[in-house]
Amino acid sequence: MTPAYQLSDIRVSYDGKDVLNIPSLSLCLNESTALLGENGAGKSTLMNLLAFVQRPDEGQIALLTQTVGARLSAEQRRRIGYVTQQPYMLHGSVRDNLKLALRLQQIPRPQHHALIEKTLSLLNLMPQADQDAATLSGGELKRAAIARAIVYEPDILLLDEPFSHLDQRHIRQLESSIRQFAAQDGKTVIFSTHDRLQAMAIANNSINLVNGRVTSAPLLNLYHGQSQQQLFNTGKLLIHIGENDTGARHIAIDPRQIIVSDQPLHHTSVLNSFPGRLTQIAEEAGHIRLLIDCGEPFYAVITPTSLHNLALQLGDTVWVNFKASAVSVF
Amino acid sequence: MGYFADSFAAAFALLLKLDPEIMRIIFTSVFISLSASVIAALLAIPAGVAMALKRFKGKATIQHLLNTLMAMPTVVIGLLLYGLFSRAGPLGEWGLLYTPTAIIIAQAILIFPIMMNLTVTAVNAADPRLIPTLRSLGARTLPMMLQVIRTTRFAILAGVITGFGRAIGEVGAAMMLGGNIEGFTRTMTTAIALETSKGEFELGLALGMVLLVIAFVLNFLLSVLNRAKS
Repeated sequence: MTPAYQLSDIRVSYDGKDVLNIPSLSLCLNESTALLGENGAGKSTLMNLLAFVQRPDEGQIALLTQTVGARLSAEQRRRIGYVTQQPYMLHGSVRDNLKLALRLQQIPRPQHHALIEKTLSLLNLMPQADQDAATLSGGELKRAAIARAIVYEPDILLLDEPFSHLDQRHIRQLESSIRQFAAQDGKTVIFSTHDRLQAMAIANNSINLVNGRVTSAPLLNLYHGQSQQQLFNTGKLLIHIGENDTGARHIAIDPRQIIVSDQPLHHTSVLNSFPGRLTQIAEEAGHIRLLIDCGEPFYAVITPTSLHNLALQLGDTVWVNFKASAVSVF
Repeated sequence: MGYFADSFAAAFALLLKLDPEIMRIIFTSVFISLSASVIAALLAIPAGVAMALKRFKGKATIQHLLNTLMAMPTVVIGLLLYGLFSRAGPLGEWGLLYTPTAIIIAQAILIFPIMMNLTVTAVNAADPRLIPTLRSLGARTLPMMLQVIRTTRFAILAGVITGFGRAIGEVGAAMMLGGNIEGFTRTMTTAIALETSKGEFELGLALGMVLLVIAFVLNFLLSVLNRAKS
């Protein structure tokens, strides 16, 4: 399948510190992809690179298999719509902003009216169409910025933290608008978020970013610290790891690899066993997600049957058990 | 004190009866400084926006040079242009010496660095999201510059007004290049200098009051623009 983007040997640093280091990454065309990561993981920098508003210090980015040189051609630029985390609306009304986007993208004038009306209606912005953009509320502003980014019908829509600082009602509205856009033929949506559930709700794929690096590890149960031979010290817990990687600074444990028990497991292959307090029980896609505080918070996913058998209640003391080989080190 | 009060009264009287000589001087002065401001603005605004937007080698040096030129004494510009425009100078045959054009050129050169520097400052002070937003919307160089000017227009206009204020109050270059010819190159500042040296205190005082009013109006405009900006 043709990738929307192909990144190779990308490196971006600020003040000598690497904020992005991606040897190779492909982003699928015609699919929704979520970039997951904590604050400062490099999500916004990567989004800026994908939108070609920032250039990497090293490396190449191919857009739809074509390597982009010093600058994008007008045609390439028209294929990308980008909405930043805190969108900036230009002087004038929402409609003026959409008109300007069409003008800058050199879309023939006779098409302007139809495109603007279609986009305003797709994003439920008809009532705000002639409102001064400076007076829009947070949710309206995000939708207006998305409208401006898709009015010229790009194939790829990039959204940097689209749901941040929004209330639940606006989040639902925005999710539905993004789904509608993504459902159209040949549309690719790439958005960044720190909310894993949000990513699962909208995206077909997700990419995890930790400290500027792409990792296959899930971002739940992610710990920072230092490895000492076959142990990893998070500052609060000593965790047995399978690999002897002295340079590793992060570990992650897949929640599905954690065995929750009411007694410590005395099994030679399960080297990690920590007691903790059950602080959260939640249902998630047919499974039960538990949050257990063992000094470090651990997420574990169990079946509803296990929940019933263990007769767990909030505040109970339970044991978190996992093998050293279940720990991803990076 | 009586002499001073009498002079003020005579100056007011000159202004109130719209003395043709005074009107002519005011017109010449405003015409020359406005022309210089328009020419300087047409060059300095695009240059300032381009400099703020582009990254290039030697940008810091140019910035230092602009800062230095902002403080350049007007007589130095007068001296250099006098050398160029005088009969024996390289541009002597253009016959510009002692014409309003020579003063316009001098004032435009004088205020160009001020306007350019204030334009650079205006663009740099704009919202940092402005340029990436325009870039992501596909703005090429010229549309980008026009949008940036549109967004920062109040701050840029404040720079133009500051430049005009400097031009109309300038005396050194106007004196050296204009020659203070009555009805032709006599500006308010050169007239004040001449009339005062002749002992004609009233005329100088009347023109001084006009200059003060202009300064007041310009400052008022600047504060209105500052309010509009915020």
